[in-house]
Parts: sequence; structure tokens; C-alpha cells
Amino acid sequence: MGKFVQLVVDGLSTGSIYGAIALAIVLVNQATGLINFAQGGMAVLSAYVAWELTTHGVPLVLAIIASVVFALLLGAVVERWLIRRFEGGEPDTAVVVTIGLLTLLTGLCGWLWTYNNKQFPSLFPLGTVSVGGVSISIRSIGTTLVIVVAMVLLQVLFVGTKLGLALRAVAINPESAAFSGLRVGRLLMVGWGLAAGLGAVAGALVAPQLTLTPGMLDGPLVYALAAVILGGLSSPVGVVVAAWIIGVLENLAAVYVSFIGFDLKVAVPFVLIFVVLLVRPQGLFGRKTVVRV
Amino acid sequence: MARPTTPPTNLATPVWRRPWVGWATALVVVVVFVVAPLYLSVLTNQTIARVGVFAVAVLGLNVVMGYTGQVSLGQIFFVGLGAYVTAYGVTQGWNVVLVFVLACLVPALVGLVVALAAARLGGLAIAMVTIALPIVGVPLAKRLSDVTGGSEGLSTSFAGAPAWSGLADDQWQVYLVLVVGGAAFLLTRSLVRGKYGRAFAIVKGNEAVASSMGISPYRYKVLAFTVASLIGGVSGFLYMVVVQYTSPETLAFNHSIDLVVAMVIGGSASIVGSLLGGAVYILLPQLTSNIDSSLTVLLQGVVLLAVLFVLPGGLVSLPRALTRGRRRSGADRGPVAPPTSPSSTTAAEEPLTERQGHA
Repeated sequence: MGKFVQLVVDGLSTGSIYGAIALAIVLVNQATGLINFAQGGMAVLSAYVAWELTTHGVPLVLAIIASVVFALLLGAVVERWLIRRFEGGEPDTAVVVTIGLLTLLTGLCGWLWTYNNKQFPSLFPLGTVSVGGVSISIRSIGTTLVIVVAMVLLQVLFVGTKLGLALRAVAINPESAAFSGLRVGRLLMVGWGLAAGLGAVAGALVAPQLTLTPGMLDGPLVYALAAVILGGLSSPVGVVVAAWIIGVLENLAAVYVSFIGFDLKVAVPFVLIFVVLLVRPQGLFGRKTVVRV
Repeated sequence: MARPTTPPTNLATPVWRRPWVGWATALVVVVVFVVAPLYLSVLTNQTIARVGVFAVAVLGLNVVMGYTGQVSLGQIFFVGLGAYVTAYGVTQGWNVVLVFVLACLVPALVGLVVALAAARLGGLAIAMVTIALPIVGVPLAKRLSDVTGGSEGLSTSFAGAPAWSGLADDQWQVYLVLVVGGAAFLLTRSLVRGKYGRAFAIVKGNEAVASSMGISPYRYKVLAFTVASLIGGVSGFLYMVVVQYTSPETLAFNHSIDLVVAMVIGGSASIVGSLLGGAVYILLPQLTSNIDSSLTVLLQGVVLLAVLFVLPGGLVSLPRALTRGRRRSGADRGPVAPPTSPSSTTAAEEPLTERQGHA
């Protein structure tokens, strides 16, 4: 039983990481209608920035905050100077652009910091706490909490502030938003920046576990995409819940289903997707989209 | 400036677009390809063979991505699957023709199953699902070590030159790649130029229009993906002919990205572009590693983005882009090609009136 609870909590923690990246992908998708395959790559670059700062003696918390600020700017710059040109064109082309960006960022990290694994200091101590006789790692609890707080803050921003209202307006209908005097371009930059910032938080939290490499988030990106499909592109809450389900399920499957084991657990979400796609194509929480011709 | 001997209808077609030029070019290319391997060095022949292998892989990707507009990030998985089926069959001592058929059918079948589920979601879901194929495929290949040889992989050599041919192994392999790959290219060319190709194009252009015309986007997406997987299998078979070794590394995720990069740089929705894509896949890393091997990935990304910005049609559209530029800069240089796309109507007005003046 103790092991089970531990696995579930660990699963929630990795699920939170997937959820943060998935939420970033949904944010970008709602604003610009494309899937940013470089979301993980941008987070890795931010994590490298944090790592570089820590090697120069900057305290870890400050380094992570600086990397999040860097990510905000990176997201805005990428939107303005790279994606803007392909918005409104074929979505396929824009997706290939993000794939190109992923290649570019991976190559940049590899060139600047080599492809060797870097030890990233952990924000939380490695120990465990005992809750009702079950020992749970502090890192898992901490990771989950930080991500949840980040998500709540984003939610507050979107629901409770004028900027959030403007961002939502742009996401729903850019033309109308522009007619009512909103500066769509600038808001899109903000949206991309926020998504990249959230990704940077996830990157800094997962880096100690995965050790920092240019391809560190390729795996989590795949999980995040699985969560996006399962949760439905139109449902931020659904995406996060799906990410948690995936995190927990894959952890349990890895331990309790001997055929799967730790090497094949990446297949779990996709088996899940297969089932969901055949039964409920719009995702667990998504709405059926009706296309107007 | 005008050529009075040519009938007016032919004036509309530039020299390089007339049918006989196309056939003559094809003939020359075929002759060159038949003769050249006999005189080239072993290394060059091997490079040509590898380009051929990945040109076929890019061709498959083009069917689903270029022609049908469904981004697939899993093409390398089917190449790897084809390679594994080939390696397994050959080590079991099966007939090579049977092995080839299986190397096509098994990936096609897997592709069909994947597409049946993935194509249900519209838009970019295929991209998001297919990204999982290489990511799941690598640990799966390691796990099924009884069949795949685990991390060590499988190596077989079954495509040595037979004694009667009097050829060296590398020459024989180039010919095999040319024949099998050439057949794949010709068949795909007929596919995308015929009824199915038009259906693919409509699905790519506008799914709602497609359904209103009785073309089921779902069915054609599944079909395109299955064909792409099958061609991927062919490429995997050729991969074993040329490389003679496969391991989980063959179907790694970054290679799948490389294939997409190569396809876009070569030219999306183009047969010649696929060929160029194969060359890009093999030669671009060689070129960049000559500059600085740690820069390879970075330069690949830069080249891809640069192509998307400057030459969205890929390398294959370079001649067209150049002639368009020349036409714009010097409209008074005589009869020129009519617009190939409706977007350049303004550029066409002047030459048209000028031609009428001469007639």
C-alpha cells in the first residue's frame, strides 16, 4: 500500500510536468491555432540559462526566476520574429516552422553546452516525509505544488485581469478583437511568452531528475502531446487532468505490469489514446468542434 | 524576339516545359544512372545508394505530408520496421522476394492501424500521435530482443553481387536501389497525378469541400498514411540492402525530424523534391560536419527555417523562383513563360500584350 501511494504521488509529480508543458501547448494553440513542437525545446534553453547562472554563483531560486523571465522574452521574440510570418497561412507550414525551431534550439544548446548530461541542482531536498506511515518524496510534493501554483496564477491572470480578458478575446476571435481596439500582435507575443514561461518552470523542476541535455524534454513533450490529445485542445483543465492520469497510470503500469516495465511505459499514454480516439474522438473533456464553411 | 516558326500555342510553353524535353531529360537521366555506377568510386556509389534509400523514405513522407497535408513525424518508424522485417526474414533464410513483400506489407498494415485511430482527430492530431511512433519504437525494438537483436541490432548481408553479373557489390547495390526505388518513384508519381492525387490535394486544401464532393477526408487520410508507411517499408528494405545493419538507433526520433527537414528543404508535394530531399538527408549533415560537427543540428535548423522563409517550395522551386525574379527585373526581354500560378497575374500582363503585338 505504501508503495502504491508513493507511486501515485510520484506519478502526480511527473504528471504535473507533462501538464505544464501541455498547458503551454494549449495556450499557444488557443492563441495562434498551431501546435508548438518547440515548446519543450524553449524550456530546455531556459533551463540551460538557469544552469549557467548557478555555475556563476547565482542562488538557484533567483536563477530559475531569471530563466522564467528569459523564457517570457524568448516566447515573445519567437512569436514576433518567427511565427508571425506564418500565422494565418497553412497550419502545416507553421508546424514545420516549430519543428525547425526545435531543431535549431536543440542544436544551439548542444553547441553552447555540449550534448553531455549536466547535473542540475534540485530546488527541493532529496529526502522523504512520512504521511500516515507512507513515505513520500519531498521533491514530488514540491514539484506538484509549484506547478499547481503556477497554473492557479495563470488562471487568475486569465479570468481576473484585464490583460487576461484581452488574451481570451484574441484567442476566441482575433479579427473582432482587433476591431475593438486590442493590439492583437502584442497580445499574441504575451500569450507565447506566458506559455514559454510556464514551460521554463516545468523545465527547471524536471531537470534535476532527468539531468540536463539538449533533448531532455523530447520525452515529456511526447507525454504532453498525449495529454493534449486526451484532454482535448479546447480544455485547459482537461489537459492537466489528463496529464496527471497519464503520469499516475504510467508509473503504476511500469511497476505492476511486468511486460511494460520502465522502458516501455512511454507506450501507456498512446494505448490510452488509441482507446479514447476510437471511443471519444473529441478528447475526454473537449467539445466537439463544428467547422463553419 | 518572337519566333514565327513556332505555332502560337507553343509560345505559351517555355522550352523546358514541352513534353519532348521532359522525355529526353528522363532518358538522359536514366542513361546516366545506368552507366555512371560502373565508373564511380565505391564511396560515391555507396553515397548514391544511401541517397536513393532516403529519397524513397522522403517520397513516402511526401505522400502523406506534402500531397495530403497531414504532418507525420513517424515516417522513420516505418523505415525501421521495414529494415527489421528484412533483417529478420533474411536471417531466417526466407526467399528474398517474400522478404521484400513482407517488408512492404507489415509497415503498411501497422500504418493502416495507426492511421485508423489517428485520422479520427482532425488537424494536427496525426502529427501529435505519430511523434510517439519512434519514441515508443526504440524501447520496443530493444525489448523484443529475440526478434530484433536488442540494442546490438541485426546485421545481414544478402545483397552481394551475383557472380554472373560481374559487378562489384557496391555497383550491384546501386542498381538494386535504382530499380526498386525507381519503381517506387514511378508508381507514386502515377498515384499522385491521378484520381487519388487529386483527392489528396482536395483533402489538403479544404476538408469541408472534400466532403461536399463526396471525398471522405478520413478515408483518404488513412489511405495516404498507409501508402506512406508502405513506401517507408520499401525504403527500409533498401536500407538493409545498402547499410546491411539495423539497430534501435535506426528509428530514433531525431531521424524522423531529419526526414521532415529533408522533405521540406527538398520540396514538399514534389516527386523531384523527394529525390532532392534524399540528397539533403545524406549530404547536408556531411556538409555541416565538415564545417564543425558540433554545429550540425544547429545548421540543420537554420537551413530549414531559412528555406521556409525564402523558398517555401523547397529546392525544387528554385528554378521557378529564379525565373520569376528575372522576369520581374527585366520584362522587356522577349517572350517569357506565362504564370504558373494565378498569384503572378500582374507579371503576366505585359508579356502577353507584347506577344500579341508581334503576331
